[in-house]
Amino acid sequence: MRSNLYILLFMTAITIVLGFMLSIAATSLEARQDFNVEVDIKKNILSSLNIPEDKDQKISQEEIEKLYDENILTINVGEDGKRIETGGIPVYIAGESDEISGYSIPVSGKGLWSTIYGYIALESDGETVKGIKFYKHGETPGLGGELEKEWFTSNYIGKKIYDPSGGLVSIEIVKGVVNPNNEKAIHQVDGISGSTLTTKGMNQFIKEDLETYKPFLDRVRAGEVIL
Amino acid sequence: MLEHYLSLATKSIFVENILLSYFLGMCSFLAISKKVETSIGLGLAVVFVLTITAPVNWALHHFFLREGALAWAGFPAVNLSYLNFIAFIAVIAAMVQLVEMVMDRFLPTLYINLGIFLPLIAVNCAILGGSLFLVERQYTLSESAVFGFGSGIGFFLAIASMAAIRHKLRYSDVPKGLRGLGITMLLTGLLSMAFMAFSGIDL
Amino acid sequence: MSILSKKSKVALTDPMLGNNPISVQVLGICSALAVTVKMETAIVMTLAVIFVLTMSNTIVSLLRNFIPNRVRIIVMLAVIASLVILTDQILKAYVYDISKQLSVFVGLIITNCIVMGRAEAFATKNSVGQSFLDGFGNALGYGIYLLAVSFFRELFGSGTVLNFQVIPDSFYAGGYENVGLFVLSPGAFIILGLIIWFQSTITKFEED
Repeated sequence: MRSNLYILLFMTAITIVLGFMLSIAATSLEARQDFNVEVDIKKNILSSLNIPEDKDQKISQEEIEKLYDENILTINVGEDGKRIETGGIPVYIAGESDEISGYSIPVSGKGLWSTIYGYIALESDGETVKGIKFYKHGETPGLGGELEKEWFTSNYIGKKIYDPSGGLVSIEIVKGVVNPNNEKAIHQVDGISGSTLTTKGMNQFIKEDLETYKPFLDRVRAGEVIL
Repeated sequence: MLEHYLSLATKSIFVENILLSYFLGMCSFLAISKKVETSIGLGLAVVFVLTITAPVNWALHHFFLREGALAWAGFPAVNLSYLNFIAFIAVIAAMVQLVEMVMDRFLPTLYINLGIFLPLIAVNCAILGGSLFLVERQYTLSESAVFGFGSGIGFFLAIASMAAIRHKLRYSDVPKGLRGLGITMLLTGLLSMAFMAFSGIDL
Repeated sequence: MSILSKKSKVALTDPMLGNNPISVQVLGICSALAVTVKMETAIVMTLAVIFVLTMSNTIVSLLRNFIPNRVRIIVMLAVIASLVILTDQILKAYVYDISKQLSVFVGLIITNCIVMGRAEAFATKNSVGQSFLDGFGNALGYGIYLLAVSFFRELFGSGTVLNFQVIPDSFYAGGYENVGLFVLSPGAFIILGLIIWFQSTITKFEED
């Protein structure tokens, strides 16, 4: 049996050695990890804007960085929808200043079990959906979890979030399949079977988030200079 | 608000049962579920420890380890979240020890029944998993408590029903190679399917 | 086999089939299954376990004559936890996408009974070389299971192997559908049960 002093010294030594090793590893890898997180956000924004167009193509982190720097401009908008320097809410704009190809805005809210995070992108007219990307959720795989799948999100493309009279109606996920003869069909997408509550939550938060951006989107639709 | 907690509880007990859909705590599940009494004992111990460690680890993460958590002490730039794993496992071991002592002093009968299971629990994946999930999912303190309790109940239900099934199984003629672990895995699969039936639940 | 002595060879190969950590010792099933939806994640998980298990066995064996008996469990736990944190940090830095999918399951290697079990049962009593091989062998045995389960889950659940589509489009056109059950957890239990059945029939292992 060893003495208590020996045990104490041994534990101290172990703690110091392991602690030292871990902090070195954590500090030296931190920059790379932050970079990964950043690239991941950029990838999701790009993906909502359908950049690059070929979805199956694998692209490296450097290419994502490059694509993002070339294509995306981030601005902050205030409550009146005008650009402000600090505070406000972010809009990610794709394209050149004289030729804007799309606007991506973050959406998030409660589904059935979890908070769902995503980006919804609109065409330069400010009312047609260009693409949508959900990147984080904890819904049941196979049911609500289908929301991240291409078959579901691709239905959003081309739908309108405004009605002809200029009211913001958002996009509604219906139960079953959209009836193309219904006059509201342009504001609706096919539902996911077995996920009534997930889609109910999504309908709600997408609408709420679009409402928040309404002043900005109204200005886009009116053709005002937004940059 | 209550509805939110109820739905979280349902989710952690049934739909995302920590054992049947995340496979956590399988080791003790397989080893202990041979007898009903011991299974209930282990199940109760897990409920107990998980309910306590989830909020404690939440507080530890929230006030000490997460990025910027040490701002109150004057170190806003410090991010110790890489120490999560080691800190959680230490808290769990310490809490188990503490629970054991408190129980021995105030609830001696329960202690005698649960006694041997408590030390085992320190290395039960379900306990550490519970703590890691609440960080990953960014639960609040009260959500963590509900989640911890729900996961514990979920584990309890799973292990108790498995023990009951295995008890009956003794009289069945199971194919030779399938005896023991093989048939238990298949049964767990069926049990897991049964629990998944709750995923359509409407609250 | 002149390079490895007989005992070393046993330490390495025994855990792979006859004494496989998952099917026979019932260790480490916890995290084995959650990451088996896709082969890609299963491979990374296997590599992580190989790293942690061989290193922890080696380190514990190196220290075996110095560790005071009374605190040996906590020392092992500290060593293992540190190795796991290291692994997690490296994964986050270099394979971020996969580390996101593995989420908390890398951390759960700490409580994977296999790691602690081998450190306690083998590394505290055997030489460094032996312990290294034992760790490696056990991790491989574990990996074989992970890969087998994930192969079937990915094949039937998603129609792919290592993300390459293997079920031809003509099948889908003919009405074939991916089996959702295999993506969900019951699929993992059932496949593992069948694999264990298959293996114990071959090795004639029988539990009482």
